[in-house]
Amino acid sequence: MTTDAEPGGLKPQSRWDVARRELVRGAIAVVIALIATIAIIFFTSKEPSEAFWTLLTAPLSKPRTIGLWIDDAAKLSVTGLAFSLVFQARQFALGVQGQLYVGAIAATYVALSPIGATWAGLPLGILVAMLAGAIYGFLPGIAKAKLGANEIVSSLMLNYVAVELCNFLVRVALVAPGSGLLTTAKFPKTSLYPALVPNTRIDLGLIFAVVAILGVWFALYRTTWGLKLRLVGHNPRFAEYAGIKANFIMVSAMTAAGALGGLLGSMFVQGQAFGNLTVQFEGGFAFEGVLIAIVARNRPLAVPIVALLYGYLRQGAQLMNIRTDVPAEVIGVVAAIIILLVSSSFGIPGKAFFTRMARRRQTVAAAATGGVAK
Amino acid sequence: MSELILTIFSAAFLATVIRTSTPLLLATLGGLIADLSGALNVALDGIMLIGCLAAVVASAYAPWYVGVLAGIAAGAAVGAIMAFFHLRMKADIIIVGFAISALATGGTVFALSIATGGDKGTSINLPSKGIPAIDLSFLGGIPGIGPFLVGVFSGHSFLSWVAAFLVFAIWYFLYRTPWGLWLRSVGEYPAAPEAAGIPVNAIRGWSLVVSAALAGLGGAQLAMFNYIGFTANMTAGRGFIALGAVLLGARHPVGVLLAAVLFGAFDGLTTVLPGLFGWIPPELIRMIPFIVTILALVLFSYRAQRALLLRGAR
Repeated sequence: MTTDAEPGGLKPQSRWDVARRELVRGAIAVVIALIATIAIIFFTSKEPSEAFWTLLTAPLSKPRTIGLWIDDAAKLSVTGLAFSLVFQARQFALGVQGQLYVGAIAATYVALSPIGATWAGLPLGILVAMLAGAIYGFLPGIAKAKLGANEIVSSLMLNYVAVELCNFLVRVALVAPGSGLLTTAKFPKTSLYPALVPNTRIDLGLIFAVVAILGVWFALYRTTWGLKLRLVGHNPRFAEYAGIKANFIMVSAMTAAGALGGLLGSMFVQGQAFGNLTVQFEGGFAFEGVLIAIVARNRPLAVPIVALLYGYLRQGAQLMNIRTDVPAEVIGVVAAIIILLVSSSFGIPGKAFFTRMARRRQTVAAAATGGVAK
Repeated sequence: MSELILTIFSAAFLATVIRTSTPLLLATLGGLIADLSGALNVALDGIMLIGCLAAVVASAYAPWYVGVLAGIAAGAAVGAIMAFFHLRMKADIIIVGFAISALATGGTVFALSIATGGDKGTSINLPSKGIPAIDLSFLGGIPGIGPFLVGVFSGHSFLSWVAAFLVFAIWYFLYRTPWGLWLRSVGEYPAAPEAAGIPVNAIRGWSLVVSAALAGLGGAQLAMFNYIGFTANMTAGRGFIALGAVLLGARHPVGVLLAAVLFGAFDGLTTVLPGLFGWIPPELIRMIPFIVTILALVLFSYRAQRALLLRGAR
């Protein structure tokens, strides 16, 4: 899965062959998912054609909506990367949501402190958020490594704890007493990500997303740590025989993914989109990284492409929700179909038939030339 | 403190524990079946949610038992989809579980909106029904402990008794019937039953269907007794707590029952504590079941790992 040349084949497959094959599979999944969406919209909407048209074109209609799309794609990339990193090590930790919340809380504490109003507010907020996320990612990792505690359950439980912690701290500590609001005050300007394109949500977070993509790619494919990590994910027993400390790799992967989750928290609260901390601001966003990672086959360089495509669909669904009678939650159904199709090993319909025909023609031709040679 | 102890041992609290444990126990039993057949069913929470919605919508138009059956049927259908993609299409079972979770969180809100003509996230306009309570007030005639028995055991959902019976039935099935042996062997070492001519894939498929049907039943209990009606994400992680309960219960029906009751007790505590200790912030009280699950998992894993080391396996 992670190597370019499959052993056993006569001709090593080139990187481009693998990429093309994955692209074809992805395209088929997207086409089937879109057909399913058309069917769902057609059966449930009173104005199906308008709804579908909105879904497909609305994100490009205004500079503001383009900004929403790009901003979404940057954030989806980061959550997708965090999931890719742990999935590559075959750890199904689902803790990005919790890491996001603790990162956001940490960044909020920095931004609302006296430091937040100085130049140090922005970098310190980001660092503290990443640190908080890393610690939150480390916990299920060490519990798994030392005690064998199932990382799916522990990371999910930590998510719920983080959400409640955010609810609690916002209500009790971070909001001016007596205001009754569940939103903190706006952060000082020095603690906010500067906008890259004025009047849109595109901000410094986009650059962080790009850096994160390149960084994770480099770490996974150009360092020994990454090689070990992929080995552990691919064949843990072999990795053990090769003398790789699987537990260390696993915990470090989960910690690094936690730092990415924390960064995402900072991108949310310090970004142009929010600029403050609200209870339950994330609304399940982090889990969409699971789809991104699965569709991108955990490859960091494929993550932004999937994030852009899925982010477009997601934005379209939200605009469709506002402008027509189809609820945005239809995207959940589409996401499930895409995950199921991409993770299944299905062939292109009729492919077996065509290859059989081609092979027969080849053997006939070979027999014919062989006959001539004799 | 003494108030807390008095409350915990009161008949009313024990009755609350039975009530909060029932959906958890049903989902946990579902998780147990899947786990023993060798598939970690991470979609339990999503299937419960789908079961909730199916039960609520069906019970609005039909008698209560049709609602319960709809919960089971919806769960079983989801299980069949999972089995198809896992066994026929060779998709990773955990990833299939993620897909079902995505389907459940978005799809239930979407389907509810379609079913009610635009309601977002709650079924407030659907006249859904509840599961009737079983009245056992005749137990009060027993001298001495009669009133206590009535307080604890009377007025529970029909499904609480079904769940208790299912613990026994599943134990009997797993350890006293050939099919149970087949199921366990498929999860333990699939090559052996394969060689013995046992239909491994059929057993795996049926286990997933039954597992999901049980989770759907748990959803029906949640939406037709613990609460009446559907709200978005009403399972609140119960399916994942059930997953933890399977591991904590040492993958045995009785152990699983005890684990589900333990987690149910802490769930019940979250409803009792605000009345007793008003000064504890409600957010922290709501954290309790999740923190207890983590602690229980960590402690149990530690013990299990030591036992494994002592046995010299791996």
